[in-house]
Amino acid sequence: MEIVVCIKQVPDVPTVRMDRERMTIIREGVESVINPLDYIALEAALELRQKAGGHVCIITMGPVQSEVALREALAVGADQAILLTDPDFAGADTLATSHVLARAIQKIEPFPDLILCGMQTTDSDTGHVGPQIAEELGLPQVCGVNEIHREGKFLVVKRLSDGFVDTVKVTLPTLLTVTKGLCPVRDLPLGALEAAFSTKDVLEWNMTDLDLKKEEVGFAGSATQVRRLRTPPPRGSGDIIEGPPDVLVGHLLRRLEALSILDEEDEKK
Amino acid sequence: MKKNRLSDSIWVFGDYRNYFQNRVTLQLIAKGKELAKELDKQLIAVVLGDQVHQYAMEYVAHGADVVVAGEDPGLMEYQVDTYTAVLARWVEAFKPQILLAGATSFGREFFPRLAKRLHTGLSADCVALDVEKDTGLLVQTTPSFGGELLAEVVTPDHKPQMATVHPGIFRELPHDPDAFGCIIYPEIGPLPEIRVKRMRTRPQQTHDIRLEDAAVVVAGGIGLGSKELFGMLSELADLLGGDVGATRPAVYAGWAEEERLLGQTGKNVRPKLLISVGTSGALQYTTGIQGAETIIAINRDPNAPFFKIADLGLVGDAVTVLPLLLDALRKRV
Repeated sequence: MEIVVCIKQVPDVPTVRMDRERMTIIREGVESVINPLDYIALEAALELRQKAGGHVCIITMGPVQSEVALREALAVGADQAILLTDPDFAGADTLATSHVLARAIQKIEPFPDLILCGMQTTDSDTGHVGPQIAEELGLPQVCGVNEIHREGKFLVVKRLSDGFVDTVKVTLPTLLTVTKGLCPVRDLPLGALEAAFSTKDVLEWNMTDLDLKKEEVGFAGSATQVRRLRTPPPRGSGDIIEGPPDVLVGHLLRRLEALSILDEEDEKK
Repeated sequence: MKKNRLSDSIWVFGDYRNYFQNRVTLQLIAKGKELAKELDKQLIAVVLGDQVHQYAMEYVAHGADVVVAGEDPGLMEYQVDTYTAVLARWVEAFKPQILLAGATSFGREFFPRLAKRLHTGLSADCVALDVEKDTGLLVQTTPSFGGELLAEVVTPDHKPQMATVHPGIFRELPHDPDAFGCIIYPEIGPLPEIRVKRMRTRPQQTHDIRLEDAAVVVAGGIGLGSKELFGMLSELADLLGGDVGATRPAVYAGWAEEERLLGQTGKNVRPKLLISVGTSGALQYTTGIQGAETIIAINRDPNAPFFKIADLGLVGDAVTVLPLLLDALRKRV
C-alpha cells in the first residue's frame, strides 16, 4: 500500500506565550513539534506498511525550517520525505494550503492508495486541509478515524461522530483524517534522528516544481484574511465581597433569591 | 416584499439529527436572522433528507424566512459527498452571501469540502459573528493557538462567506406556531455514488449533553485543591437543579471527566447562573462560560482575574465556604 502522510510543524502549545499588549504570539523561545495528531497519522501509516507492504511518504508545506519535522518522520521510519517550500507559499489559508498539498500528491508516483492527515492542528485548529485535499483530488474522505482495517480494495474504519461510533467501509484510494486512540506513538530510537540527518534525503519542491502560479498559493491564493487578533471583551466587574464565610454565604443566598433560583426565605416559612 | 427571496441572502445548513438535543441549527437561525436584518436580507434555512417537511416547518417556527428543502431517499444519511453535491448546486443557483453551519462533527467534515468546491473561504468553530453594514462582510471570530487568541477572519472577495459555529454560543428564538414562511423544494439533480458506506452505528457511551442545557452550572478549577472538595460541587449543583463543569487543569487532575470540560477546547455554556469555584480566569476557560447571564465567583485570591468578569465575587476559601453553603441550601431547598 502506497501511503502519503501530510504533516505540519506547529508551535509547541505549552511554550507559546502571548504579548497581551501587542496582541501577538511571542515567537522567541517557542519550540516547534510535529502536530500531535499528524504524528498519530504517521504511526498509523507505518503500522499499515508493516501489514500490507508498500511505502510511506511524508509531505509538509512550510518554511525551510520544517525540514526538521520531515527528518524526524524519516527517523521514525518513513521511506521518503518531501518539503514543499517557497517564499510565495507564506500566509496561506486552508484553501491555498490544500491546493499546494494536492498538487504535490498528484506529482508523487505512483499515486497513493491512502492519504492520511491529523484531524486538526494545535495552532489554527481548523481541520479543513484534509477534506479540502480530498475534494481537489476527487477522493472520498472520512474524518476523525480512530481505527483502520484493510479489507481488500476497501478500508473499514471506525470514527466518533456527533456522539455516535460509526463503522464505515470506504473505497481506495481515499483520504482519512485521524484522531487520538488510533495507535500509540513510539519513542524515537536513540540515534535515529542523527542517522536521518546524515543518510536520508529530503526532496524539496517549490512553486515552479509544482507548476503553480503565484495567485494560486500563499496569501494571494487565500480566500480568508485574518483582520486582527484579540482577547475576548471583558465583562463588567460586579460586586466583590470580602468577609467571613457566613457573610459570603449570606450574599450568595440573597443573589440566588434575586435570580429566583431560590425561594425567598420568608415565603418558605 | 423583497423581489427575490433566495438570492443574496444568509443561509443556515439545517442539521436535524438528534433534534431535541442538537439545537445548533436553531441557534444559527436566530443569529443569522439578526445579521440578515442588519443587512436587509432574508434568513434561509436549507435542509436535506428523505422526509424533511416537519423540520422545515420547525425552522420556520424558529425564525427562518424561507426554507430550501431537498427530499430524496438518497439524502437520508448525512453523507459528505451527496450533501456537497446538492448544496454546491443550490449555492451556485441561488448565490447566498453567507453560509453557516454548526461546528458538529458532520459540519466540520462537510463544510471544508463544500468550501473547496465553491472555491471560497471558511472559518472554523466560530465563537462570534458580526456583519459590517457598509461592506456586507461577515466578521468571523475564531479561536486559535489553543484558545489563547481570538482571530477575526473575513472573506473579502469570495462568496459565499462560510463559517462553522461552535454550538451553544447563540440563543435560539422561541417556537412561534403562527410564524409564516415559505418552504420550497428546488430540483436536487443527480446524486453521486456513495463511496463511504455506513456498516454499523451505535451511540457513544459517555456522550452527555446535559451540561449545555443546564440552567445552573457549577464549575470548579484547580484552586479547589482536592478531588474531595471538587466532589462537593456535585451536591451544590444537585441542590440548585444544575450540572457540574470543570476547567482544563481540573480535568487533568482527574477530578472530572473530559465531558465536563468547559471552554474553548470543551463545551460552551450559557446558563442562567454560573457559580465558578477556584478558577483563576484563564482565557481558555472564560470564553466558554462568559455567555452565562450571571456569574458568581468564589476564590481565595482577591486579585484573581476571574473576579473581573464576575457579577458577584466572593473572596473566600472554598474549604470553609462550600460546606457552609451546602448546609444553608439543604435547609432551604
